[in-house]
Amino acid sequence: MSRQPEPHTLAGAYAMDALDGPDRARFERHLARCPECTREVNGLHEAAARLAVAAAAQPPPALKELLRAETARTRQLPPLATGSPAAAARQPGRAGPAGWWRTRFRPRVWLPRLAAITVLAGVAVWVAGNAGQPAQQAPRSRAIAAVLTAPDVTMLSGRVRTGGTATVVMSRAERMLVFAAAGLRPLPASQCYELWLVEPGLDRPAGLLPMVSHGMAGPVVAAGLRPGDKLGLTVEPARGARHPTAPMLLVLAL
Amino acid sequence: MPAARGRAVGTAPGPDLAALLAEVAKGDQAAFEAVYDRVAAPVFGTVRSVVRDPSLSEEVTQEVFVEVWRAASRFDAGKGSPMAWVATIAHRRAVDRVRSEQRSADRDRRAASSLIAYDDVAETVEDNLDRERVRRCLRTLTDLQREAVTLAYYGGYTYREVANLLRVPAGTVNTRMRDGLIRLRDCLGVGR
Repeated sequence: MSRQPEPHTLAGAYAMDALDGPDRARFERHLARCPECTREVNGLHEAAARLAVAAAAQPPPALKELLRAETARTRQLPPLATGSPAAAARQPGRAGPAGWWRTRFRPRVWLPRLAAITVLAGVAVWVAGNAGQPAQQAPRSRAIAAVLTAPDVTMLSGRVRTGGTATVVMSRAERMLVFAAAGLRPLPASQCYELWLVEPGLDRPAGLLPMVSHGMAGPVVAAGLRPGDKLGLTVEPARGARHPTAPMLLVLAL
Repeated sequence: MPAARGRAVGTAPGPDLAALLAEVAKGDQAAFEAVYDRVAAPVFGTVRSVVRDPSLSEEVTQEVFVEVWRAASRFDAGKGSPMAWVATIAHRRAVDRVRSEQRSADRDRRAASSLIAYDDVAETVEDNLDRERVRRCLRTLTDLQREAVTLAYYGGYTYREVANLLRVPAGTVNTRMRDGLIRLRDCLGVGR
């Protein structure tokens, strides 16, 4: 960087997040020892907040449903000051959120799961539809059936960062999982979604995700699960990659 | 009287936002929902103006509210209003996400569209008295101040990027951003 601006002139840029990493860090060091600048930034944040209010737009109602699930499993930070009345917040655990959850919103627990169940149904239909397929398809159908009927079958789901819901049906005993997704963002023909089994230091490719229609994708069977594996999803060139070359859009602990 | 300001977000009836945040800090989900109802539109609107992509905007908005839930105990009324606290989290999260993920091609495309982003976004809420006040106050800024402020805030650009877009020196952009925001603050009668 050629010249460093006089810190005080950066208060406006800082209040609007217009400083990137190094500039932001430098300004924050300056703020820490400049009470006057801190007062100014606080005031500018108030002005910036009015810009936010002016841009108001209603989010989709589904977001609130998702947040119910998210907050119910998200631990809260304790207050910074000690001995404050809010010390109770240090024990945010089950009695609070979970109690509220059970008594008032239990039916809604099922709403986020509907998408997952829909995907599962899609997988089941796919399996049924492939019963009479050529021989090379049969092992995969059998693998899917084995997972779905395993005594220890578990289901996980997660949101893909670029949109869509991923569902994993897994059997640890069989060391296999079936992956399917709905609502994925369509990709150009030059790209595809690729699955990974992620463990520290080594990401194993776990298959390319076939797009069925309208953002529905899968199923993919991944075998040979190891304890501690996570499942990852990236966008790769259409032929797939041997190692992930793009940021993970989803990481599910299995 | 609050009703006189219609749908003004900061003055909606009911318990005030600061009191609600104190309840959220204790794990009160109902209070969290009340906070959400009060500030979801400004948060989502701001995030969307910066991020642009609808599904990514929803994702970031979700992250913002998880952060509000998680960090409610850190809200300090002595430092500013609850709305400013939430808006700061939202804007920074949106900007950081865009900067870490946006490919250069997308950024170029956004450069072309962000100049209209403000009007575009602001039209989506009817009868927003706060918006009218902000627009009126934005008009009191010089052209360069206004462009620098709206590109930074609604476009999510760094001051260096704003300087490139407006073809003025970075130092000039810095002072215009600060002067513009100070003028906006004083016109709106918020902060100090």
